[in-house]
Amino acid sequence: MEKQRSEYRGTIHQRQKDMMMDWYAALDRAAGGQGPPTVSMMISGNCVELLEGFEAAPIYPEVNALQLAIRHQSLEPILAAEDIGYASDSCAYVKADMGCYIKGLTPTGGKIPTPTLILCNFVGCNTYLKWFEHVAKLTGAPLMVVDVPFMRNDEPSAADIQYVVRQLHEVVQRLEELTGRKFSYDRFQQAVACSARSEELWSQIKHLARSKPAPFDAYFDAITLMGPLYVYRARPEGVAFFEAALQELTAKRDAGQGVYDQEKFRLVIEGPPPYPHFRTFRDMFAKWKACTVASTYSTVGGLFEFGFRHDPERPFESVAMHMIAQNVTNRNYLQRYDQIRKYVEDWHADGVIIHFVKSCRLFSAGQGDMRDYFTRKLGVPTLYIESDLEDPRYFAEAQTRNRIDAYFESLEHAKTTQAMVGV
Amino acid sequence: MRITAGVDVGSTQTKAVLLRENGDMKIIARALVDTGANVQKAADRAFRACCSDAGIDPREVGYVVGTGYGRYNISFGHSQMTEISCHAKGARFLCPGTRTVIDMGGQDAKAISVGENGEVLDFVMNDKCAAGTGRFLANAAEVMGISLDEIGPLSLQATRPVKIATVCTVFVESDILSYVAQGKKAEDILGGVHLAIAKRTLSLARRVNIEAVVTMTGGVARNTGMVKALETVLGSSIQVGADAHFMGAVGAALFAMEKLGQSFESTVWEGAHAASRRD
Repeated sequence: MEKQRSEYRGTIHQRQKDMMMDWYAALDRAAGGQGPPTVSMMISGNCVELLEGFEAAPIYPEVNALQLAIRHQSLEPILAAEDIGYASDSCAYVKADMGCYIKGLTPTGGKIPTPTLILCNFVGCNTYLKWFEHVAKLTGAPLMVVDVPFMRNDEPSAADIQYVVRQLHEVVQRLEELTGRKFSYDRFQQAVACSARSEELWSQIKHLARSKPAPFDAYFDAITLMGPLYVYRARPEGVAFFEAALQELTAKRDAGQGVYDQEKFRLVIEGPPPYPHFRTFRDMFAKWKACTVASTYSTVGGLFEFGFRHDPERPFESVAMHMIAQNVTNRNYLQRYDQIRKYVEDWHADGVIIHFVKSCRLFSAGQGDMRDYFTRKLGVPTLYIESDLEDPRYFAEAQTRNRIDAYFESLEHAKTTQAMVGV
Repeated sequence: MRITAGVDVGSTQTKAVLLRENGDMKIIARALVDTGANVQKAADRAFRACCSDAGIDPREVGYVVGTGYGRYNISFGHSQMTEISCHAKGARFLCPGTRTVIDMGGQDAKAISVGENGEVLDFVMNDKCAAGTGRFLANAAEVMGISLDEIGPLSLQATRPVKIATVCTVFVESDILSYVAQGKKAEDILGGVHLAIAKRTLSLARRVNIEAVVTMTGGVARNTGMVKALETVLGSSIQVGADAHFMGAVGAALFAMEKLGQSFESTVWEGAHAASRRD
């Protein structure tokens, strides 16, 4: 049997690469004093719309870290961070980022500017506070924390929303002081409108994967489309990108083209991928012609497939709502269970894969119970595998392959048996 | 008459069996070799030893399924299956009624929930840690200066088993040495070691539903002390067949027989990396 691989064959993959390189080029110019003001933020619950009111660009340390990992360059900065005292089990994203500051590394070779403002949009992950405090110490850049209440209940309270809105106004005031620019409410409102449009398109793309076969892999391919969502969704070029993506993927769906010539299994994947071994990991699923139809990781930057959109009529409130309630990491575990259950049912999945990330408590704490919930309570075949999203040392290829192969063997057996007895 | 082979290339030992179907299904040969550094050679040696033992030409073997970590290195294999599927298959065949398999090998410990038809319903394995595996016991034996074959029977003589605080394969050494320094009896130390592993393994196994009948497979099943310790902690009996060590290879040979008989179609079993047979 020829080794099975899945490749995204459309034009938007290259287009997103070009867009991300343009963004890095803008950051490089900013480092040289010629580019836009920059604001360092966390992806989950980012308020990139607000930055548009200053024509400022975001810096995402997580994107820098994952870009290093996918290029097999993350170990050097991780070791550099461990040399100055970071523990082996602290967040590998943090260590890769700190190591980059220490060693002067960047994913593209271009420069990353000292941020005009380090905006710690603390969403679910308390490691971020320490991360951004250390970045502030190393760079001397000003640090501001936006305290986003965790989703304790199904909906945020009015007080929660007002609490965040008030802090966003403080951010505006601080950025006016730091950039010397007047905040443009009109540009902010236009940005929110662009985001709403991008989110609608992204949601429609996600729903295409409900078709059999799915026209794209909602984990591996979705990841390649997520960069524009974080950096460009609030800009017209972001809208244009997602329009092109929807058009291209709809054409694939209408032509009955799947990721594989014959889709055999449909999966939901929970958790970030092992970026240092991204291709190897993807091939382990491709071998079985297993297509991901939905993933929680593709909702870290926003949960849009269930209806939420930014609202230009209520721009501050909707940004606050997005930060509090509409990204997977700030939502409680029962909400994540429900999200995955809906994916299994409405996206017609055969099973769930949980990828436990050793150095990320935010994503991974509680996943053992999650496995039990899906396996025992809902009867959904669920595989639990462990490695890391950034540190290449925690990926045991033979063990991971063994578990994945065994999982698909059992799914195969179940399907064959069901077919034999006419279930 | 049809003959198939299952070759289980484990991290420590390579097991091979020949299965003959001739009205009934019978294991006609077994071979066990140390895997060593050359996985391919180990698989070849085990397979040829089986053929020689059974007095047949390797070409008479209609289908070979490889399993275990080295399964993709078996140059003469037709296809591969994971040892998880193979242990479940083998256990249902040799120990009918099996619903839970506890497999303890050189570097792996796993629990498999088995369905009515021998299918894998769920499984869990140790992750990147040799606690609860044969390696832990081998280390303990080495520190105590007692052979691996002796530690099980000796542990059964424990009257006051010590408490082993760690299940870390590396750190258990210092625990044992400290008990030796305290003058504790070897059998009590080993009794504690076996109980510690049993608790660890069953805690892993409880993540799948442990249902009777429970069957133990893998190389550690030969250790009578380990079987007893597991039964003590579990509070019920565990089946151990004479071929427990060969269970993965038996399952592989059974899959090979199904494949040979084309009892049902399954293209994935061709294996992505299956090499053509050498002979």
